[in-house]
Amino acid sequence: MQGGTRRVGTMTDVHRRFLQLLMTHGVLEEGDVKRLQKHCYKVHDCNAPVEKLEDFINNINSVLESLYIEIKKGVTEDDGRPIYALVNLATTPISKMASDFAENELDLFRKALELIIDSETGFASSTNILNLVDQLKGKKMRKKEAEHVLQKFVQNKWLIEKEGDFTLHSRAILEMEQYIRETHPEAMKICNICHSLLIQGQSCDTCGIRMHLPCVAKYFQASSEPRCPNCNDYWPHEIPEVFDPEKHREAAISRPSKKPSRSRQH
Amino acid sequence: MLQKPRGRGRPSGQSEREKDWGRGGDCRAARGGVAEEAPSTSRGVGGSSQGARRAEASPAVGPRSQQQLELKVAELVQFLLIKDQKKIPIKRSDILKHVIGDYRDIFPNLLKLAAERLEYVFGYKLVELEPKSNSYILINSLEPVEEDAELRGDQGTPTTGLLMIVLGLIFMKGNTIKETEVWDFLRRLGVFPAKKHLIFGDPKKLITEDFVRQRYLEYRPIPHTDPVDYEFQWGPRTNLETSKMKVLKFVAKVHKQDPKDWPAQYCEALADEEARARPQTVGAAPSVGTAEGRRGKGTG
Ligand SMILES: [Zn+2]
Ligand SMILES: [Zn+2]
Repeated sequence: MQGGTRRVGTMTDVHRRFLQLLMTHGVLEEGDVKRLQKHCYKVHDCNAPVEKLEDFINNINSVLESLYIEIKKGVTEDDGRPIYALVNLATTPISKMASDFAENELDLFRKALELIIDSETGFASSTNILNLVDQLKGKKMRKKEAEHVLQKFVQNKWLIEKEGDFTLHSRAILEMEQYIRETHPEAMKICNICHSLLIQGQSCDTCGIRMHLPCVAKYFQASSEPRCPNCNDYWPHEIPEVFDPEKHREAAISRPSKKPSRSRQH
Repeated sequence: MLQKPRGRGRPSGQSEREKDWGRGGDCRAARGGVAEEAPSTSRGVGGSSQGARRAEASPAVGPRSQQQLELKVAELVQFLLIKDQKKIPIKRSDILKHVIGDYRDIFPNLLKLAAERLEYVFGYKLVELEPKSNSYILINSLEPVEEDAELRGDQGTPTTGLLMIVLGLIFMKGNTIKETEVWDFLRRLGVFPAKKHLIFGDPKKLITEDFVRQRYLEYRPIPHTDPVDYEFQWGPRTNLETSKMKVLKFVAKVHKQDPKDWPAQYCEALADEEARARPQTVGAAPSVGTAEGRRGKGTG
């Protein structure tokens, strides 16, 4: 991978502005990334044709490689929307969070992360998380404060909340997969299809293998009678639909526009 | 892809081991007793449980491979990027403690290389806040454009607006202003020191603490005042990130007037522009980067 095998690309101000803006967001959906790319071309170089997003990002990644940074593409675990995040590989994700959070807050995140990974569903209830506040390192935290801190994790796109339960944001999954593999090798779950970290998904009642929802959708897309890829037993869950960017775009237009979430204090 | 940092960080590849990367043998010679004084806490600010991976990257005393040095520069770049998000100047001692560890002997080289990468890859210039201050900030080499703010979707912009108002006020009043005057002015805009503001949160804290810690503003008590009053001036970061002319143009835009409508300020701003244009002026940004670092910086 090193040296001559891969051509290192060239950076221009278009790429630099793109990186700066991507960094302030932390994570973006594909549509927004394309909008961002177009914006950067417009600011610096109106005449050049907009490069295909994949090539544009590959070019940047070839330069980022020596800095152990990467723009990673992933999909959301629930409905398979493609997303992009700038991931640091030389710094642990927790130390990346350390500029925004105090020591006891980071420890709360570690505890929540542990509960989420250990859980069957990929969700940890707020009650279970809040019950751990007495064990936190650093300054003492009250439950009321802890609730507030959990909301801050949601705002900064590290956690997602669904009806009082918390799971990892796809951004956190992209950034933390390596870290989780190292710190929770036994507890973590792997998808049988794509072999990456799985937090929420479906599992086979017979043999216990797990699959991401988007992976389930793709794998069973054409089959009328879904069977487990491992034990061939009947797959007992509802098969979700494959993510369709066209459909998503229509839905986004008809939906009232959402305010951009405020993620980072400057 | 993900496995790489570990493998590369280890001093295992014997074939490429001897490629020294700091300037020849000089810096090695200086290493002698430095190593033990700073135990490498490369794991950064993160805490305990995740230290294992990074501990591997810190070598015992011995020749450092190109990979180890590359990883060190990468850590330094990432550390600077992360720290800059808070806009608080990054102290040299923190860099040494959290990233450099027992690479102290080649710190200037590492910093220079990190500065080159930051400028070439991200368009951020690493500069020392004031000469000999031993603290650093990142300055954006790219001109801000209005749509950036929209796409950014963060809180940077509204507070920046308030900051520009205060900076403008200071400049228009002859570069020093009493705190009471600032609040008199802001009250007219509906911003009160003791009242929580919808956008700015706690304006008193933002202006007298946050902007001061970020070194946009200097804030000090005026001698012989009772009760004590404070005064504001521009901080060193302001001179690096913006200029008198830019601030004057901002003020003029707010008033829908021309900068030349304030002749005294306009002359002062013009003189400031000229001073900036002269190379090696005292007070100009003492860039840590080198000419090489600017290599790729043309418009694309
Ligand atoms: Zn999968
Ligand atoms: Zn099965």
